[in-house]
Amino acid sequence: MKYSVNTLCFSYGETEILKNVSFEINSGEAVCLLGPNGSGKTTLADCVLGFHSPQSGSVTAGGRNVLDFSRKELAKHISYLPQTHNPLFPYTVRETVLMGRSAYSGVFGQPGETDEELAEKAIGAVGIESLADRQYTTLSGGEIRLVLLARALAQDAGLMVLDEPTASLDFRNEYIFLDTLFSLIHEKRISILIATHSIDHAFRFEEAGIPVRVIMMKKGAEPLTGAPSEIITPASIKEVFGVSALITEAADDTGRKFRSVSVTGKAN
Amino acid sequence: MSSAKKSTKTNPALTLLLISAPLFFVFLSLFFGRYRISAPDVVNALFRPSDAIPAVVTVVRQLRLPRAVAAAFVGASLSVSGAAFQSIFRNPLVNSGILGVSNGAGFGACLAIVFLGGGIATYFSSFLFALLAVVLSWFAGRISKVTSTVSLILGGAMVSAFFSALISIMKYLADPYSQLPGITFWLMGSFASINYSHLAAVIPMSLGMLAVFLSRWKINALSMGDKEAATLGVDVKFYKILVISGATVATASAVCISGTIGWVGLVIPHIGRMLTGNNNSKLIPVSISLGASFMIIIDLIARSLTSSELPIGILCALIGSPFFVYLLKKKKGGTVS
Repeated sequence: MKYSVNTLCFSYGETEILKNVSFEINSGEAVCLLGPNGSGKTTLADCVLGFHSPQSGSVTAGGRNVLDFSRKELAKHISYLPQTHNPLFPYTVRETVLMGRSAYSGVFGQPGETDEELAEKAIGAVGIESLADRQYTTLSGGEIRLVLLARALAQDAGLMVLDEPTASLDFRNEYIFLDTLFSLIHEKRISILIATHSIDHAFRFEEAGIPVRVIMMKKGAEPLTGAPSEIITPASIKEVFGVSALITEAADDTGRKFRSVSVTGKAN
Repeated sequence: MSSAKKSTKTNPALTLLLISAPLFFVFLSLFFGRYRISAPDVVNALFRPSDAIPAVVTVVRQLRLPRAVAAAFVGASLSVSGAAFQSIFRNPLVNSGILGVSNGAGFGACLAIVFLGGGIATYFSSFLFALLAVVLSWFAGRISKVTSTVSLILGGAMVSAFFSALISIMKYLADPYSQLPGITFWLMGSFASINYSHLAAVIPMSLGMLAVFLSRWKINALSMGDKEAATLGVDVKFYKILVISGATVATASAVCISGTIGWVGLVIPHIGRMLTGNNNSKLIPVSISLGASFMIIIDLIARSLTSSELPIGILCALIGSPFFVYLLKKKKGGTVS
């Protein structure tokens, strides 16, 4: 299914946040939202999830405006991995992942055999089988992220929206999370909309062989849209983030090349 | 894969236990009381009333039976409402009275005792004011723009405080000899005056509990917060209104026949969480069964322990709190993180 954002404009009262944002995501593709704090990444994600009514423009899933879906229908097309999740009640990992099947039961329904199987498969796909019977509140931050990823996967939606999914993770957990995500994209052909502070993530998608587009956002201005190599340049980083930066490329022992952004100073 | 199936399946043995436990305690409670009746006489009175002594039949069938049934439904209503409120408000410290039900009902009862001479008016008045309190909390919660859950709890706290003040005024106004004792006893909770006519409250209690019971699995998603629940495909507004209305009707109907019983709606759900985990698919039925059984036992003690009856609210806390602390210690940790 194709997901598109069509010349979307959104303001909170007088404050213009999103201006003429347009992009499409086909299956197996990723879109990376980059931009400083307050540039509207979360607002855009919320528009895609149908939480905001834009002043003009629209977000469509399979050609249909997301605002015309019921919550139940939309959850079958778009899943969500929240930026902040405060674990409270110690559900088991299995129970938590199974909640991803909420949209597939009747009004007063209980999860059925199929739901349990799909939750089990999602747990396997994310590689957390050994945690399945643990209370998810007792897990580490990285493990909780994987549980929420499995829950989103269990929703069996074409598009997964991730808001800063690795914001609080250490190097290893960040790598594990992204690596898991990449293999899911390859295997399940899901589409990804990811908001992130780590510009390097855009390069990682590309290096993993996933078609990726970057939307570099600046509050109230039209975003820069294109391939990572086109958009992520010292000039654009200076303009959008207000820092001078260096983009370097290095190869590991096997000759695989990796690019990264280093901030070198404050731009005036 | 064999262990993989354990957490979400309905377990027939557990279902049977949950249904039979309250029935067993209702039956058991028929054998105890201040008026001593031998076990065969109780059985006779139940199953062959024409052969039994009339006074015994009256005690067993007209006093003990309706009382045990009322206690079961009240206990179940309070604890299932508490469990549901804890989950949908994402707050393990709330109880069934969080939206002002208890204090609203208390004021309604005082009003009836002081101005309408008590009696049957007490039940209707307390029921109506219990509902009114929740409606007021709902609207008070709507006024502010804070996260709706927080503002709803704050609204409930305000309305509770308001009705609590009104209760104090009524106590002040009440005749200290003819009315104040009635108010005081009502506010401490009791099943002493229950007869079959009170069992009309079983209907709204059952309907309210049914609304919560049917929504039980969706309550899991709701406990993740409104935004996450919505993205999981749950119609947050629909289920919140349904569950809050169900829990409110159940609690209001319970409180209007039993008086204020505060402790059950907070702690029984936590005992349930310790015993079977937090999955509401299980926790809701467990809370119903556990609340019913607990309340029958407490009422049994209340009417057997001393020559004059002890108020239920006092006994619940006196017996329940140490038991809860014991469970906490045994389980080595809380029910929520």
